[in-house]
Amino acid sequence: MRVKVATIGVVVIFLFLAAGLVHLQVFQGRQYAVLSKKNCIRLIPQAGSRGRIIDRQGSVIVDSVLSYDVLVLPQEAFDLDRTFFSLSKLLERSVKDLRNTFKANLVSSSIPVVVAKNIDIKKAIALEELKLDFPGVIVQPHPLRDYPYGALAAHVIGYLNEIDRWRLTKLEDYGYKTKDIVGFGGIEEKYDYFLREEDGGTSVEVDRRGRFVRVLGFQPPKNGKEIQLTLDLRIQKIVENSLIDKKGGVVILDPLTGEVLAMASSPSFDPSIFIKQSHQEISGVFNDPTSPLLNRVISGLYPPGSIFKPIVATAGLETGKINSDTSFLCEGQWYVGRQRFGCWNTHGSQDIVAAIAHSCNVFFYRTGLMLGSQTLYDYAIKFGLAKPTNIELPYELSGYIPSSLLKKIHKFKGWYEGDTANFSIGQGDVLVTPLQMVRMMAVFANKGKLLTPCIVKAIAGKDVSVYQRKSVSLPIKESSMELIRQGLRGVVAYPKGTANILSTLPVQVAGKTGTAQAAGGPSHAWFCGFFPFKSPKYVMCVFLERGGPGYYSCLIAKQIIESMVQEGII
Amino acid sequence: MMNREGLKILVIAILISSIGLISIYSSTYQKEGQLWQSIAQKQLLWVIVGIVCFLMMSRFYYRRFWDWTYVLYGIAVSLLFLVFMLGIVRLGAQRWLKFSWFNFQPTELMKLIVVVFLARYFSLKSLDNVSLKISNLGLWRAFILPFIFVAVPVAMIIEQPDLGSGIMILCIFVTMLFMANVRIQYFLMLLGGVCLLLPVFWHYLRDYQKDRLLVFMNPNIDPLGAGYTVIQSKIAIGSGGFFGKGWLSGTQSQLHFLPESHTDFIFASFSEEWGFLGCVILFGLYFLLIKQGIEIAERTYDSFGKLLAFGISYMLGVQVLINIAMNLGLAPVVGLPLPLMSYGGSSVFVTFVALGILANISNSRA
Repeated sequence: MRVKVATIGVVVIFLFLAAGLVHLQVFQGRQYAVLSKKNCIRLIPQAGSRGRIIDRQGSVIVDSVLSYDVLVLPQEAFDLDRTFFSLSKLLERSVKDLRNTFKANLVSSSIPVVVAKNIDIKKAIALEELKLDFPGVIVQPHPLRDYPYGALAAHVIGYLNEIDRWRLTKLEDYGYKTKDIVGFGGIEEKYDYFLREEDGGTSVEVDRRGRFVRVLGFQPPKNGKEIQLTLDLRIQKIVENSLIDKKGGVVILDPLTGEVLAMASSPSFDPSIFIKQSHQEISGVFNDPTSPLLNRVISGLYPPGSIFKPIVATAGLETGKINSDTSFLCEGQWYVGRQRFGCWNTHGSQDIVAAIAHSCNVFFYRTGLMLGSQTLYDYAIKFGLAKPTNIELPYELSGYIPSSLLKKIHKFKGWYEGDTANFSIGQGDVLVTPLQMVRMMAVFANKGKLLTPCIVKAIAGKDVSVYQRKSVSLPIKESSMELIRQGLRGVVAYPKGTANILSTLPVQVAGKTGTAQAAGGPSHAWFCGFFPFKSPKYVMCVFLERGGPGYYSCLIAKQIIESMVQEGII
Repeated sequence: MMNREGLKILVIAILISSIGLISIYSSTYQKEGQLWQSIAQKQLLWVIVGIVCFLMMSRFYYRRFWDWTYVLYGIAVSLLFLVFMLGIVRLGAQRWLKFSWFNFQPTELMKLIVVVFLARYFSLKSLDNVSLKISNLGLWRAFILPFIFVAVPVAMIIEQPDLGSGIMILCIFVTMLFMANVRIQYFLMLLGGVCLLLPVFWHYLRDYQKDRLLVFMNPNIDPLGAGYTVIQSKIAIGSGGFFGKGWLSGTQSQLHFLPESHTDFIFASFSEEWGFLGCVILFGLYFLLIKQGIEIAERTYDSFGKLLAFGISYMLGVQVLINIAMNLGLAPVVGLPLPLMSYGGSSVFVTFVALGILANISNSRA
């Protein structure tokens, strides 16, 4: 009896062990295989360099330069105290400081530990020469973003920083990891995938103590792709100089291709503060009430004011509500019902050309009222408003064009004739970005094509602007186009034109000024135009946030065009 | 001459020792230093010594142990006492006696002596009287007296400290009592006593032993300290998978993630390289060996031989159970070798001797 129990006992023991074995090896085998690999394979990273950004002529806007880090390989540095002592003399840093950095970054004895970052090249060379005296000390070149022109084109470029949680959740699937350095804003963000370097590294097998056993593989680091922008640095510099100490934005396009030649927003910021990680300056930029990080050209929404008028003129002429013979009498005001709508002057009898040149509000109130709000809305949409222009920059805003329906939806209010009057001079709820305005103006410069602005010319030497260069032909009659162009030219050429100040320039400029009323403060100053008038090569928008009357923007435009002439660009 | 059963035992023992040699060679393969390179050779030597002892013991009439039992017991206890006085300390424990060219672990010998002692205690000398002595023994003589005889060496062993061997000898004690037909109610009393004394034992355990027991409940409470071994052992076994990583290719043992990979954790390093298939074969061999022992016991009529054969079989079985279970993370980590596999001369020597006795019992069976 007991013998049987004993025999069964043995069988039970073996079944118990076999069950444990099956559980571990057969069911959980794969999981443990991963753990075993993690145990013994380490990766020693080697950084690649992020792609450069150059302008249309090939001048470097953002570069990657080599900086040097000092690393200590714990398993080879036998006498840490002596090593730190010698390093501290050479690097002019305290032994305690070095030791603390070392301790804070130590992972395992086979992975080099960074003890000093960004040392200058002389010290790096000195260290390399003394290498034999310092076993286990490694000097590793490490590419760093360099901004040779400082803040130039900062809004177009964007800046680099450690990835945040929001971006990480979005980009995890594309191989982004925590602590990755990624672009924020501008090209750096939009084209991060191309600019981004791929870190290479050596995978090594290590033993229990983390000591090196053998090399398993090596993957060379891959540099990021170079991106060529359509920007012309010469123009960009002129534009940024003209905006110093002002608040606003300037954008210049090629009216035939839609290529952005200059884009500036002011106040600006220096992207290198993010590389230096100077926390004081960074928080200064983030907390600045003038929001220097905001690219006002694409992410600022403002009422357009009078520069909206060419759209109303087009609508009037195209629908046949007005023609070249139509003229309205301006007595300085116009009543819609009992409500008075003022003009900024008393213009007398105005036809379409004169009304544009003098920016007569009464003419456009009456045209607008004849057209009705829906037609105005339709034409605004045709000119690409209320939706992004699809330029290759992140955080572009759509703007807003009002309509009776939208007013009902958003504000639960009815639409009145007065709203139409405000709408027809670009006031009321109309909101646009300066880029949308320059794109609208380009239609008159190139006689009927609504362009898609583009800013990236080539990626890694391959021309990509062709993909972006889509344009829509707007069916505008030649006669209407001609009348409006005359009006725009009149703005500058007529003695009483609102931008007459530009008539002294050696190039023939056409355009439209705008003084957009904004609640609670001075008005926004707009100038939007193109030049040379006969065969336009540049279309420009100058915008000053709370800059007063449009005249001030004309001054900036004049300054910019003068400098361009002086430097022989035009 | 040896009969077929004896031959079978020898063949299985040689097979298991060969597997052990291969694994020891592999797990010490990349370790630097002269000492490590000779490990597998040393073990080979011990296996050869073991085989010779096996052949000798299979010719040595086992009933002569009956007369010599108390002398052997005395020798073994005094050896343990010697260890206590002048043994060498290694891995934090005082378990070895240094001889001219080898170190001997008297604990291993004690395991066998306890088996012999208990078999002697519960049987009668007369070959013809096949009944066990137990039927006319009271609690004192059936239970408490033999317990005192076992408890003396066990206390010395636990004091070394070698909790694993101590517990293992207690296990043998219980199984031998069971086979000697001690009344079931005494076992219940023992169980009750153990339960009552557990808190007291806990108090006397060393800190690291407490850690190990706590870690057994949850290895992740201290992954780099006491739980390290269990975690690494489970990784080694689990990552072996179905077919294993191949000989000399086990990263866990080759790169020293697995501590004691040639002694107590030889099973983990074996199963990492040979996988589930290899383990099944190994289990089969152990099972055949132990089953053979039990069969011999069943067929032996004299009570001394019967108890001795059972004791030896169970001595092997309990060691295999505790060792492999601790490798699998199913038992707390206590230092206990896997018989015939683990590196260690004393263990190999004693196991072969025990198997030799088994072969002799099978041979001289009436």
